[in-house]
Amino acid sequence: MNKLLKFCLSLVGIVLGLFVVTFTVYFFNLDMKLTSAVAPLLQKWYDHMEHNQYL
Amino acid sequence: MKTVEKIVCPTPKAGEQSCSGIYGKGKVRKRREWRGVKDTFYDYTRWLYLLGVIGKFIIKPRNIKGFFRYRWMMNYLFVPHGMDKFTIGLRDEALRMTHIAMNYVIADVTQAIDNCFRGDRRVGNDKAYSDRCVITDENSMTCFMMGFDPKVVPAILREVPTMFAGNIFNQFSVTHYLDVAQEHGLPGDVCPMPEAEAGISIDDDFCVLGCCAVQNNTTCDGSLMGNGIIAKRLEREYGIPTFQLAAPLRHKEDDVLEYAAQNIKDAIAFIEKHTGVAWSWDTYFAAAKRVNDATRKRVAQLEINCTNYPQFVGAVFSLYNDTNYMGNCGRNEEFCRKDKKLLALAERGLAAKHMMAREYRHRCIVWGVQPQYLIDMLYWLVQCWGVVPLTDMLSMVNTDMIAEEDTPENREQAYRDMAMLNMEMIMRNHTHGGYKVLVDELWEICEKMNADMVMMWEHMSCKALTGMHGMFEEQARERGIHIMWVSHDLCDPRVFTRQAIRDQVNLYMRTVMREEPLDPAIEVIDDNEAW
Amino acid sequence: MRDLKYLTYFENLLQEANNDLITQAKAEGGIAVAYTCENVPEPLLNLGRAFSIRLHAPHTGSIDIATYYMTNLLCEPSRALLERAVEGGFNFADCVITPDGCTMMNRAVENMELLHTMGEGNPNFFHEYMEIAFKDTEADVKLSVLQCTNHILKPLHEHYGIDISDKSIREAVAEHNRMCRAIRAIGEFRKDEHPRITGYEFHVLCLATYVCPTALVIDKLEETLEELKTREPDEKAARARVLVVGSEVDDSGLIKLIEEAGAYVCCDRFCFGSFPGRNEIVLSDEEDALTQVCRHYIHACQCPRMMNMEKVYGRKQYVIDLAKEYRADGVIYEQVKFCDPWAYERMLGSTMMRDDYNMPVLSVDRPYTIDSSAGQMRTRVQAFVESIEIKKIQKGGQA
Repeated sequence: MNKLLKFCLSLVGIVLGLFVVTFTVYFFNLDMKLTSAVAPLLQKWYDHMEHNQYL
Repeated sequence: MKTVEKIVCPTPKAGEQSCSGIYGKGKVRKRREWRGVKDTFYDYTRWLYLLGVIGKFIIKPRNIKGFFRYRWMMNYLFVPHGMDKFTIGLRDEALRMTHIAMNYVIADVTQAIDNCFRGDRRVGNDKAYSDRCVITDENSMTCFMMGFDPKVVPAILREVPTMFAGNIFNQFSVTHYLDVAQEHGLPGDVCPMPEAEAGISIDDDFCVLGCCAVQNNTTCDGSLMGNGIIAKRLEREYGIPTFQLAAPLRHKEDDVLEYAAQNIKDAIAFIEKHTGVAWSWDTYFAAAKRVNDATRKRVAQLEINCTNYPQFVGAVFSLYNDTNYMGNCGRNEEFCRKDKKLLALAERGLAAKHMMAREYRHRCIVWGVQPQYLIDMLYWLVQCWGVVPLTDMLSMVNTDMIAEEDTPENREQAYRDMAMLNMEMIMRNHTHGGYKVLVDELWEICEKMNADMVMMWEHMSCKALTGMHGMFEEQARERGIHIMWVSHDLCDPRVFTRQAIRDQVNLYMRTVMREEPLDPAIEVIDDNEAW
Repeated sequence: MRDLKYLTYFENLLQEANNDLITQAKAEGGIAVAYTCENVPEPLLNLGRAFSIRLHAPHTGSIDIATYYMTNLLCEPSRALLERAVEGGFNFADCVITPDGCTMMNRAVENMELLHTMGEGNPNFFHEYMEIAFKDTEADVKLSVLQCTNHILKPLHEHYGIDISDKSIREAVAEHNRMCRAIRAIGEFRKDEHPRITGYEFHVLCLATYVCPTALVIDKLEETLEELKTREPDEKAARARVLVVGSEVDDSGLIKLIEEAGAYVCCDRFCFGSFPGRNEIVLSDEEDALTQVCRHYIHACQCPRMMNMEKVYGRKQYVIDLAKEYRADGVIYEQVKFCDPWAYERMLGSTMMRDDYNMPVLSVDRPYTIDSSAGQMRTRVQAFVESIEIKKIQKGGQA
């Protein structure tokens, strides 16, 4: 019983923890803030790619 | 001048009352909007869902390869930001409808990219798959594919993820391609949409797949002309034969219908020849039923928007219609289920008299060629000024039923139906076909929807629209309709920034209408650099 | 060279849209059928007492009113036509027939209609809009026949009692061909090493055939042809022979400017030009004349709005064939600003000329009347001529 309770509690804890983390990311727009840091690096990658420009 | 009854919301909306707190300088918003517990949680779950869609897509190795091969793939990193643009200030049913519709559009585009990469000679290179695919234009009715099972003969609208959808999530998504096209001699005064598509082709940034391609003289002279540039590369460099499907411009005249129908027949024969798959009337009429179902639901949504409590409005209404009517054209059953859900939500919102802002001061028809996917304009319009965008030009498409029973007569009728759909595809059904469909029909819609205002998107490179500028002015004056001109250059934000677009509304509302904003804090938003 | 006997006469006819020959034809009971696009089969507008006049707006100055109606983002020719219509410059017209060819020209005419710029006091006056072919197929021929029947022949018959029989069409084609033969024969002299006609003179003559009643210019054209047969050419050869390709040129000043800058315009492949607009129409007795006329126009059409790839590639091949036939050293691709069809065609055409055919090419955009941008254009043409000369020297030829 204890084990089951422990498991349930830890599951709730994990879910809650995940919720807190993801909700923080969501609410403070951290996903897009991270993306805005990565995007310039990607931009450089694309700018340096060779393209067969042809009409 | 015409006036409409001012509608005031009896209760304040849940959560924060102004959206001003979410905006920050630079590329991203400071935070997401607090909409009260229930709606914030809903919005959060939809955010998780979107991350799931993106995650499921990017987990495939070939998609990672495609990600690093194609510049336009970067735009899809900004999907959550793009979604946030369309939900500002929304609560209850409006929020849910926007999410359901937009999430499905995103899922549809994700699938389109996945399909592109699967067959792309540079990425997935699944030749057997590619040999069954038919490339079609982005801004084109896919009705000529209605008789082909999408699992057997997939329609690849490769310009949608490459150009159109990318632009929803990042306003700067095509500036590189515009520069490429102009470096090769295309003037900067043509419409940036076909210009960008030409630029992508020149830059060799389209996926290369398919056994053949069907092009269309979709919306304008520029669109027609861009086809030649794209087709040349497809045919001469990649060996993919192309067919040019002509859609007559004077689509209201009976004497063009047979020609249009013949073109549909020729397009189908071309596809049959190159795919080796025969047209199926069973598949066609099943799709036709779904087209009619979508039409009925769209008309019902518009009826709701005729009331004092419009429900499903804004860029997403238009974008969803665009995807459903043109890109889908009855070929995907899932749209029917989404249509049903959306209508049920709209009916519930109407019954509860739910509003998107605390006051509705003006009922507005949005007309012209719109950049509203790049900017949160229509949602801002209702939040900042209490101007409700009842519908837009792109959503005002065919309302007639097409033949849906398989009979010998209806098989002939089907070609005419497809021809009609093709001619009256989104945008061109108003921008072409004479002033009656562009100017006269606008006033009819204003009358029917009890609108006192028109927000006229004046796309500076759209000659079909600007060519009637004076007539709009004069006739609006005669009818007592307020006409608010908002100039822009579609997907080139370097010509008109977001705030430059909003300022035109601010100026009109303050100087002509002599009104104060509902929410002065968002009259000026520093988001010109944002995606 | 000695001046051509009728050059001033023809030049004077181009000074006003409503020229003396239109007045004369109207006084003789003619019906002026105004049109705005080369895709309209011209002989069908010249049946019986009807005569075709392609609208143009010489000496355009201010286009403020048209700019109010159509903004400054539409091409100047479309605005110039609307402005001229508002000013009353096209009051001679008894009807206007317009194809939905390019959007801007179509909008210009729609504005003319909505503003009631023409037809005052003429209860028979009408506007007609036509769909025109997009491709070169039999379905397009059928479309064209239907459109010409519904939007040209029936209205002309119903409003003005014009004879639209097969016989009448054949007579109009015969007259059209006589005019085309004269123009084409005059143009042939441009092939010579020492041509006996300048590109400017030819353009004046050719332009007159579009903007004047055909029947009233033929005699003088034929007389000019005879005169040219004995005309002594200049001894000095041109520094560079160029073929001009592009959107409509109804301002001979452009051709004059190019020639003043050192080039010789040896051939014209533009709207209002002789290729393909002055091709003879060959009729047989096997099929009705209307269908044959329509088929001719679709086959011959070099308008960039023709969208099938055979036409797209064919247009460039046509240009290069003309360049060879008329011994052009280079091609000038010109486009009126804001013209969408020619914007794309100019880009693709000039690139293919250079890359696929190794033909020197100058790609330019320009205003409607060249006077407003003469310096810029002259500099570019001069540079182009010099570049051709340098190429000739490098090849071991003579500059």
